[in-house]
Amino acid sequence: MKCTYACQTAEHLVARRRFLGLAGASAMAGAGVLASPLGAFVRPAAAAELQSKQKRILMVYLAGGLSQLESWDPKPGTDTGGPFRAIPTSVPGIHISELLPQTARQMHRLTIVRGVNINENDHGRGSYIMHTGRVPDPSNEYPHLGSVAARCLSVENDPLPGYIHITPGGGGGLSSSDAAFLGPRYASVTLGGGQPPQNTVRPDAVTEAADLSRQAMRRRVNDHFARRRRTAETEAYTQTYDQAAELMKRRELFDVTKEPATDAERYGSHDFGRHCLLARRLLENGVTFVKVSHSNYDTHNENFDFHLEQLGEFDQAFSTLVADLADRGLWDSTLLVVNSEFGRTPGINQYCGRDHWGTAWSVVLGGTGVKLGGAYGATNHNGTEVKDRQVNGAQLFHTYLQAVGLDSTETFDVSGRPLPMADPAFGPIKELLA
Amino acid sequence: MIGRHPHKNVLGLRWQPAFGGRAAVLSALRLAGTFCLIATLAATASANTEALHARIDQLVAARMPTEAAPPATDSEFVRRIYLDLTGCIPSTAEARAFIDSADSGKRTALIDRLLASPQYARRMQVFFDLMWMERRPETNVPNAEWAEYLRASFAAGKPYDQLVREILSADGTDPALRPAMKFYLDRGGDQNLVTRDIGRLFLGRDLQCAQCHDHPLIDDYKQEHYYGLLAYFNRSSIFTDKANQKFIADKADGEVTFKSVFLDEQPRSTPPRLPDGPMPEEPKFNAGEEYVVAPADGVRPVPKYSRRSKLAPELTSAERRDFRRNVVNRLWAMMFGRGLVDPVDLHHSENPPSHPELLDLLADEFAGASFDVRWLLRELALTVTYQRASDHPSIDPNQLPPQSYCVALLKPLSPEQLGWSVLEATGVSASYRAGVQAEIDGDTKLAHILASDEARQRRGIEFAERRFFERLAPSLGEFINLFGGPPGSPAPGFQATVHQALFFDNGGTVRSWLAPSGSNLLARAAALPDSSAQVEEIYLTVLTRRPDIEERTLAVDALNARPAAERPAALEELAWALVASAEFRLNH
Repeated sequence: MKCTYACQTAEHLVARRRFLGLAGASAMAGAGVLASPLGAFVRPAAAAELQSKQKRILMVYLAGGLSQLESWDPKPGTDTGGPFRAIPTSVPGIHISELLPQTARQMHRLTIVRGVNINENDHGRGSYIMHTGRVPDPSNEYPHLGSVAARCLSVENDPLPGYIHITPGGGGGLSSSDAAFLGPRYASVTLGGGQPPQNTVRPDAVTEAADLSRQAMRRRVNDHFARRRRTAETEAYTQTYDQAAELMKRRELFDVTKEPATDAERYGSHDFGRHCLLARRLLENGVTFVKVSHSNYDTHNENFDFHLEQLGEFDQAFSTLVADLADRGLWDSTLLVVNSEFGRTPGINQYCGRDHWGTAWSVVLGGTGVKLGGAYGATNHNGTEVKDRQVNGAQLFHTYLQAVGLDSTETFDVSGRPLPMADPAFGPIKELLA
Repeated sequence: MIGRHPHKNVLGLRWQPAFGGRAAVLSALRLAGTFCLIATLAATASANTEALHARIDQLVAARMPTEAAPPATDSEFVRRIYLDLTGCIPSTAEARAFIDSADSGKRTALIDRLLASPQYARRMQVFFDLMWMERRPETNVPNAEWAEYLRASFAAGKPYDQLVREILSADGTDPALRPAMKFYLDRGGDQNLVTRDIGRLFLGRDLQCAQCHDHPLIDDYKQEHYYGLLAYFNRSSIFTDKANQKFIADKADGEVTFKSVFLDEQPRSTPPRLPDGPMPEEPKFNAGEEYVVAPADGVRPVPKYSRRSKLAPELTSAERRDFRRNVVNRLWAMMFGRGLVDPVDLHHSENPPSHPELLDLLADEFAGASFDVRWLLRELALTVTYQRASDHPSIDPNQLPPQSYCVALLKPLSPEQLGWSVLEATGVSASYRAGVQAEIDGDTKLAHILASDEARQRRGIEFAERRFFERLAPSLGEFINLFGGPPGSPAPGFQATVHQALFFDNGGTVRSWLAPSGSNLLARAAALPDSSAQVEEIYLTVLTRRPDIEERTLAVDALNARPAAERPAALEELAWALVASAEFRLNH
């Protein structure tokens, strides 16, 4: 039967070739579309084995658009370079902005992709490209990298959310649009201001005894119903209450104050520092995808002052997080992605600002699956265009997935509709993959 | 499908007494083989003067691999029909009255009463809004105007084909039909989006994959189908006048060309054309004479020939059986939990209906009945098939093919059904309803007008219902966020998430609704004289059934074991357990 292929299975490769029209197989098409929504996209049987090598992704998202010139691709002494110097890093020959002195010492654990061109200068569209690897198309919404990771890398029935987003400011909850056709189960859970997910504390009004009593009654009602009728749906629904109980037991996972005070100090006494420390805690405890946002880099005015201040926070917390994940043995299983919706113009405007610039900027990778300690691609002498190894959002998206061991050419089956995991018009950046 | 169970078919048929005449025909045909049987059945069914619901049952029975489940109990039926036709479980009083009634015609009477209620129009409004707009954010047409347009259409029994014609042809020039532009305007007039959704939602064909090439898995779906649909819209755009009113404007020129991204081919061109439909004759005008109102700055152009205006009449014409099949299949899926064609937007020759002759019968009868949605739903609800139990006395239902309809399928409640039902079960709805009525009664002038004659009384009921619905709407937000799908996509298949359980476990919403107050469920239950009556009230209200002996004994003993001061808390625990149960989460 077509379209019943799973993540990481050989069957899919065959189905994929058919999808590309290399083999006609009309006789099988009818069977394929009878598959239930998403249900056909099963996980490999060897879940335990997968758990032992479970891969994770850490995304550090510099919202608003980080200036590549004040960070990963400085051009000192040119018309576009601005006031800051470039400094050497732990990788001979690679220089980055002097605003990132501590990060410079971690450069052997990182790789700068300097030839990013997404040909997009709009915040919303750029963000969509960098999260989904697709050009926005209103008739086809695609899931975020985090939702794909939650779907394909998480252990089945893990009570922990697979995609956690730590943002500055308040708010929180589920963003089901992030998961698109994968469904709310793989949606991002926002920890606004680093606060735990909603409804994870039993309210004072419900005593422990009362909770035990009502849960026992709920199980009895469910058992009674299951005697009449038991389906995958009834099982899945009842199981979520066990997951909820498990998640509540592990609620301290979201409490960054449980980390040693000395660590909190090393990360910095600001929100981004606390959020990076929380990210470490979540990754160490098996959360599949953690995104930490730092904002706001949209510096149309006073670009240099802003970057001086913002990157001071970033440099301390980020470099500490990289060093800690490496020291704790997580660098072999965690992919790091540092990105924005785009970079900033080489040209400096009349307000000492830099504007939106999606055509020649940088993304940083680290951790598992990618070659580390260098720069891939290059811009010209003053950063106005990519001169070597230009890449786009789709290629990066393929590369992220391949780096964590997924075959990015696989296809999700959604109600019989084949939806490629990554844009099939592109592939991974092979030279970057380890 | 019957083809998968050749060893079982026909011999396991279960006959309804009413179909005795047909049984004789069929038993004679048993030896003749399935193919012949079905062909004959279809032929006799179409020439038949029996009510549609009886013919549906015959066609379903003809393909049953085994004995069907017995009829649903009254409890099961009343909950199911309320959820399907009004979107909400019945009130305690309604449930009790129905279950205790000895009237042999009570099911038919209830179906008729619900279909005539204002709640039916509301349910249809929400169902069709979700189907057509898929929770897209409001952009150009206010949600409230669109909702009222749909509600009023279903309340008035507007034929479905007319409704679709209005939605696909409204351009803003008729003020009464401005809300009908939502389908186009709130998709931003995006040609590809509109094309995809017309294919899916009105023809049951998801042609998305055919945007860039012939569908890789479905031979029937061609790239020319996609662009044939797109050509109805490639000359259209959103026009905003000086008063900031939106219209749809058309040009007289613009061709559609396409080529497969997989093939090195010359671009092809297509006029507006429905899949496999006739090639249209497009009128030609001399240069300079194409327009009634020529394009100019700030002017909405009006061409003599508008491609867009051709779509509504062509799509809804008698030749388009796919248009009829699509909608009856979707209404069938709403009532039965699965389309005769499943998934509902993949109609094609290699995904045939489970009951092809039934789908055609429904499609043609629906058209013959002037596309009357209420009539069709009544016929579906009257079938033995619909009124069957969701459990089976001798067979594990999971072993039965779902498309056999031997047992009723479980249907997860939509976020709206779930939210409304929790509000109803906890007694919050009743207090809102009473509040709205008190407001109306308190407004002596309004009350006087609304009571003055029968038509106004009916309007008064609708008015109260509307105000009630508006009050409840904010409470549904959390349910939609937690149980609904992302905007702009079809509702996802059933997905249970840990956040849903946490919402019931710890969220303030349900807890505040359960806390005894006014005349809500727990206040009412607490006032009852003994534990047994209290347990019964809670079961009947939340699960629309009385507890069985075992449940009653367990619950009563548990209550009586608690000191008097803890009884209210114990009742609340019981009510919570029922609300959080899988039985409540599903329509069964």
